[in-house]
Amino acid sequence: MHDPYKALYLHIPFCVRRCFYCDFDSSAIPQDNPAIDEYIDGLCVQIRRNANEGELAQIETIYIGGGTPSFIGSSRLTKLLYMISVSVRLENVREFTMEANPESINECIIKDIWALGVNRLSIGVQSFDDEVLKILGRAHSSSEAKRAIECAQQRFENVSIDLMCGIPGQSIASLEDSLVKAASCGVKHVSMYPLTIEPHTLLNNMVLAGEFPEPDEDEQALHMERAESILVQAGFSRYEVANYALPGYESAHNVAYWTGVPYLGLGRSATTMTQNSERRGRIRDGIVLDDLNKSQMVAEDIMLGMRLAKGVSVEDIANASVFLPALQATLDELCADGLIVFEEGRYRPTHKGWLCGNELYGRIYDLAP
Amino acid sequence: MNIDREHIRNFSIIAHIDHGKSTISDRILELTGTVAARDMKEQLLDSMDIERERGITIKSQAVRVDYTADDGETYCFNLIDTPGHVDFTYEVSRSLAACEGAVLVVDSTQGVEAQTVANAMLAMNANLEVIPLINKIDLPASDPERTREDIEEALALPADDAVLASGKTGEGIHELLESIVYAIPAPEGNADGPLKALIFDSYFDPYRGVVALIRIVDGSIHKGERIRMLATGTVALVEDVGTRRPSEVPSSELGVGEVGYLVTGLKDVSQVKVGDTITSADAANVEPLPGYREVKPMVFTGLFPIDGDQYEPLKEALEKLSLNDPALIWEPEKSHALGFGFRVGFLGLLHMEVIKERLEREFNLDLLATAPSVEYHIFKRNGTMVSVHSPQEMPDPAEIDHIEEPYLKAKILVPPDYVGAVMDLTIARRGSFVGMNYLSPTTVEMQWDIPLSELIMDYFDRLKSSTKGYASLDYEFNEYRYADLVKLDILLSGKPVDALSFIVHKDKAYERGNQLAIKLKEIIPRQLFEVPIQAAIGNRVLARTTVKAKRKDVLAKCYGGDISRKRKLLEKQREGKKRMKAIGNVEVPQEAFMALLKVDG
Repeated sequence: MHDPYKALYLHIPFCVRRCFYCDFDSSAIPQDNPAIDEYIDGLCVQIRRNANEGELAQIETIYIGGGTPSFIGSSRLTKLLYMISVSVRLENVREFTMEANPESINECIIKDIWALGVNRLSIGVQSFDDEVLKILGRAHSSSEAKRAIECAQQRFENVSIDLMCGIPGQSIASLEDSLVKAASCGVKHVSMYPLTIEPHTLLNNMVLAGEFPEPDEDEQALHMERAESILVQAGFSRYEVANYALPGYESAHNVAYWTGVPYLGLGRSATTMTQNSERRGRIRDGIVLDDLNKSQMVAEDIMLGMRLAKGVSVEDIANASVFLPALQATLDELCADGLIVFEEGRYRPTHKGWLCGNELYGRIYDLAP
Repeated sequence: MNIDREHIRNFSIIAHIDHGKSTISDRILELTGTVAARDMKEQLLDSMDIERERGITIKSQAVRVDYTADDGETYCFNLIDTPGHVDFTYEVSRSLAACEGAVLVVDSTQGVEAQTVANAMLAMNANLEVIPLINKIDLPASDPERTREDIEEALALPADDAVLASGKTGEGIHELLESIVYAIPAPEGNADGPLKALIFDSYFDPYRGVVALIRIVDGSIHKGERIRMLATGTVALVEDVGTRRPSEVPSSELGVGEVGYLVTGLKDVSQVKVGDTITSADAANVEPLPGYREVKPMVFTGLFPIDGDQYEPLKEALEKLSLNDPALIWEPEKSHALGFGFRVGFLGLLHMEVIKERLEREFNLDLLATAPSVEYHIFKRNGTMVSVHSPQEMPDPAEIDHIEEPYLKAKILVPPDYVGAVMDLTIARRGSFVGMNYLSPTTVEMQWDIPLSELIMDYFDRLKSSTKGYASLDYEFNEYRYADLVKLDILLSGKPVDALSFIVHKDKAYERGNQLAIKLKEIIPRQLFEVPIQAAIGNRVLARTTVKAKRKDVLAKCYGGDISRKRKLLEKQREGKKRMKAIGNVEVPQEAFMALLKVDG
């Protein structure tokens, strides 16, 4: 028996083109390719089957990600969303997010998905600088992004945008300009990631061939700090290492990932996390990625908790210490190294802890490898 | 039954690396039916994993094959495989002393190369009959005629009768066997004289004790006979003798000219030394065979287990390896930075690498090696002398009157075009030029006088790279000589790290210290805090660099599926840290302790 799933993730692995940095599972194929229809039909069958087995009864958040869900067009999305609406009790769903990219956002899609229950839109903007968008290989311009945000806001009150920093060729002035625009365009949530060169991406090949510089970590740290100061000034709070929200607009679905909430992933290369009080597993495409025992589970929860601004409470630490006897000593060391602080009954990450996250997570991970 | 002396041919096969020595040996075994084709493993004679992988021979081997020649007579061939590296020059010379001839393999797509010359010289100095073999004639790039001219020109060796062969196809191997029969002389020696046998290799077998490979020079040796090793004075019982084909075939005796193995039941390989002479236990006044030398380690390094729990296993592993390797000596060493380990002495750098690799591979140890050092003689003001193998053992400078260090006579063979490059490199390493002569229009022999401490500082690799791989190096110990040396300390975060200290000539201290500080800055990863690196003599800081504090590490998305990926990444990070040594609170990668070797100059 496993604990009920509270979060549902659906993966749409199609895009108009592949961005140079992206290593997500997605294919760039023509919009009218029947493979997309087959995929959506298959996804609908899976949703139906899980609903019949009762797996969707307690879903509280839904996230349709990609790829580019908006790329597949209004009629396929209508089919998919309709299937969701008859399979999940939408009245219990607190947050229903869909990802979209500026080039495929139009009034028709916005109206349709809004009407079918989506209540949060996450737009991949990345930058408001056309030069930077070119470096990243994005399929849209900054003016298209602005238009898309305005278009989304006709229906959606809760719009989030993704931004990137620390890109070779992106000046601090360019970043600041994007941040100011993000803060002033009425979005409620901003995700902010430094560029990572992932294997099997075009940028990685370019780096290996010496055609693109490796991102500079000091520069990236500086960008992250600038992002925080501008967004916080504008009223956003940094509730997770890379996520900023106006009060009350933290992403419930993403917080579920970081707080040990079981999630069901449907579609190609979507990950499911299933657990009970003893064990936790992660499965993708029928392959078990993780099989954690109790102490590994507990360590993972503390680790993920340290991504969040609120950190971990002393009560949680006390409970976890039953399974991780060395936890307190490790936390004391992390405090001494300035990676975390103890305040108001909680251990929270410091700025240094956020920037040197692997150092921080690594030491907690080592408690139950 | 004794083999008739006239029908014995003892020879070895010598070559530049990769010219096909092992393949030729394999074909000989195959063609003479010694080993069935289906049992052939590539490079049959190189039995250690490391030998097979690196394509080098470390221990000697001797295999007997029977060959029925075109004249209808059956001959007994003893094929002796020799080590192929300058660290083992002495062992090679003893193996060659057991032969009357040598097959010199030259790759017909490459021609004569430096090592071909060095090996041919060794063989000719040992008065061996050399049969040139032009190999790889099946390849399209093969140029046998040019190779033939090359051999005559560079080696002054008649090559009209050179054998054309391909180790790959087996072509020419029959001709080679015939040419061994008529060109290589049968062994000489007095069958009825008192026993005299040369030990050209020995190793420890856990079931039978020390086993020696021997060549009977005079007389014969019998199972059950009592024998004496002249240099060590050890007396032993011949528990078993016989030949290898390549599996062992025991016999009641080995007669004059024969090559085979000898089982002594002795427990210590250092009682049966390479180059020593075996006689009957009761024989008196027997002259030892010429050429015996005490083998002494020249290069010393600290070996430390990365995981302190592996100290005892490391000790046991060293004990096991030294059973087989009299040149390997070791004593416990304690380092503040690295904990408990051993100071280990080796014949040379390759010997060191091979031993370290075997310890890690065969005994599953994770080891950290410090930069190699030589044996210094420290003459104190109070008139005593101490031998020091490690910078940590250096007495207080106030107690030291003067220091002497080992010097070598080094011989470098190189094509004339690279003489300048060798000059530049060797003079920068405190070498003094002694002289040079042209062995042929394409080969110059340069003689140098150079401190061993400079030679072990990556000199050989640099010599190879500055001469496009053409140079070959041979050296022997010359003498201890006065040198103005100082101990240079490296400080991390203000604290001296004993395992990074080294001894250096005063004139080079600033340069080396500075380069090492720069190199360490590259090697030591950024930590959560700034790490200053200083190079100092006593309290005087010569150079300083700083590893800046780490600002940020990988920060990636961490949603549903990313969490598993993050776990993998943290696991990898953890494995990476395992390969590092925490010194104080600084994580230092293993290669830092060898950084000294990578410093220019």
